[in-house]
Amino acid sequence: MADADEITEAYADWQARCNANSRLATMLRGWDRVVHLTCSDTGDRFTIAVEDSVLAELRQGAVGDPDLVVTATSEDFADLFWGDLNPSEKYLSGEIVLAGSADDVMRLDAMSMVVFLDG
Amino acid sequence: MAAPTHAAGLRRAMGLRTAVSTSTGLAFAALQYLAAASLVAYVAGDSAWISLGVAGLLALLAWGFFGELNGMFPTAAAIRRYMSRAMDDRVALTVTFTYLTTIVMVIAADAFIVGAALTHVLHESGVLTAVWTLVLLGLAVLSNLRGVKVAGSVQDLATTVVLTATLVVSVVALAKSGTPLHTPLQPFHHRTGADFVESVALGVFLYSAFEWVTTNAEEVRRPEHIHRAMFIAVCILFVVSAVMTTAMSHVLDRGQLSSAFPQLYLGQRAFGGFGLWLMAGITAVTALNTFNGGFITASRFVYATAREGSLPPVLARLNDRAVPWVPVVGLGVTSFVVAVVIEVAGGAGWEVLVAVGAALEALIYAVAAFCVLRLRSRLPDHHRPFRVRLAGPAAVVGLVVFGLLALVAAVSVSNRFNPLPLVIIAVMAGISAVFVVRYVPRYRAAEEARRAAGPKRRPPRNRPDATATPPADETADDPPGARSGHPVP
Repeated sequence: MADADEITEAYADWQARCNANSRLATMLRGWDRVVHLTCSDTGDRFTIAVEDSVLAELRQGAVGDPDLVVTATSEDFADLFWGDLNPSEKYLSGEIVLAGSADDVMRLDAMSMVVFLDG
Repeated sequence: MAAPTHAAGLRRAMGLRTAVSTSTGLAFAALQYLAAASLVAYVAGDSAWISLGVAGLLALLAWGFFGELNGMFPTAAAIRRYMSRAMDDRVALTVTFTYLTTIVMVIAADAFIVGAALTHVLHESGVLTAVWTLVLLGLAVLSNLRGVKVAGSVQDLATTVVLTATLVVSVVALAKSGTPLHTPLQPFHHRTGADFVESVALGVFLYSAFEWVTTNAEEVRRPEHIHRAMFIAVCILFVVSAVMTTAMSHVLDRGQLSSAFPQLYLGQRAFGGFGLWLMAGITAVTALNTFNGGFITASRFVYATAREGSLPPVLARLNDRAVPWVPVVGLGVTSFVVAVVIEVAGGAGWEVLVAVGAALEALIYAVAAFCVLRLRSRLPDHHRPFRVRLAGPAAVVGLVVFGLLALVAAVSVSNRFNPLPLVIIAVMAGISAVFVVRYVPRYRAAEEARRAAGPKRRPPRNRPDATATPPADETADDPPGARSGHPVP
């Protein structure tokens, strides 16, 4: 299991990559969303906010009304933020569970793909 | 086991009304009008509604199957998940790819039908149908590439307008006919039982795609909305289709019924010139739902499969609006080619298309029955918010009935024996199977190699130990291939 500190550290790396990616900034234009993350094993919850194409700091707990809720193990969240895990594969096998619109799910996956596969 | 999830607390959750309009709107494509007109040829007089009623009952059987399966896997990727657990992964992928071709056909048919309707009302040469088709598909591709998605409220309105107008036009046309219905309760009058079975097979097609709403499982406010929405949609489809089919059989002649725009003639019989234009407009609105739902469903599925590593990576490329542009453009081009083939083939073109669609739809219902049956034994303890009553006998009946209907629909065009639909389906399934067996393993191997080539970025000190908790959805009843780390659909 990954603890909250590990996930926060992993997220910080992902956040820096996302915010430094100009293509992603274009892709996220107008996509202001609140995403809740729920760790199915530890019960930890986190909140990610995207505003003006910028990812905010990871916040502990479920803050505000979400547009998207992602449920996965803490290990998967840590691996996902480090880029060691393909979220689509985990999603298709049912290990990552989502609640939200298909378009929002698509954008979230796009973030992961663009920062790690497109460079 | 994954906890059932739903979007109750989301800012933008889908309500029951939008779920109903999505399910009904996806099923009620422009092709619906042609399928309804085709149905008339198989039964006596104005009794086609009986075939639709029987087909509706069968659709409710399928509703039970999809309800149970969607309840078990409430996700847009449900079809991949339950099929991969119920059968061999390669068979599951082959069936899925073959089934996806129905989306291409429905989009192509709708573009052609709207194009033909516009050409007719504008008194233009039939050659211009291809131009209208190109324009419509071009607009659909461009709006998809720009990330335009029809809002739920617009979809509610569009579906309501289409269904209401179709119902009103049908009732008025019937009322204005001034003659009583012919043999409305005698479908076998001067017909055979085989004719009736063929009409039921075609009738099933009029409900097709109602189950596509299951791909919205992650965004509904309450999980049971999907289940209820599908049931309500089947009931609405029966009422509208039955009245429309009865009106068509009663007021249209054989030439009008076999045209590419019987709904325009129906509108004309109800309201004269205004009715003609009204139904042309309504036909165009049906395409809005089809293009919106069809393009998004198919392109996102292809994207997810490519991301997983089972299709070429180029299919997962995104444009600056996070739209998988290669599948969208490919879908548009393929649909246009199919639409042109339909036009060149004349009336027989869309009749064959309807038969192919009817056969594939019955086939996927049979597959759903098989999955229910198989998963009851493979995953007996899996959470099932909705359970089919007498699942064993119901699934066997579904498997046999839908299998037979698929076969009947595949060898029958316009009440005549014609194996062309079967040949088309066999070719599509063959291509899918060859692709799955020969190329998918290569793509998966390449994806594995790509991942293995790069070092893990996560610091070693943070790697999971051997006692790590298993992933949320791993259960003792999952087959070995469904474990994490393997590309399982």
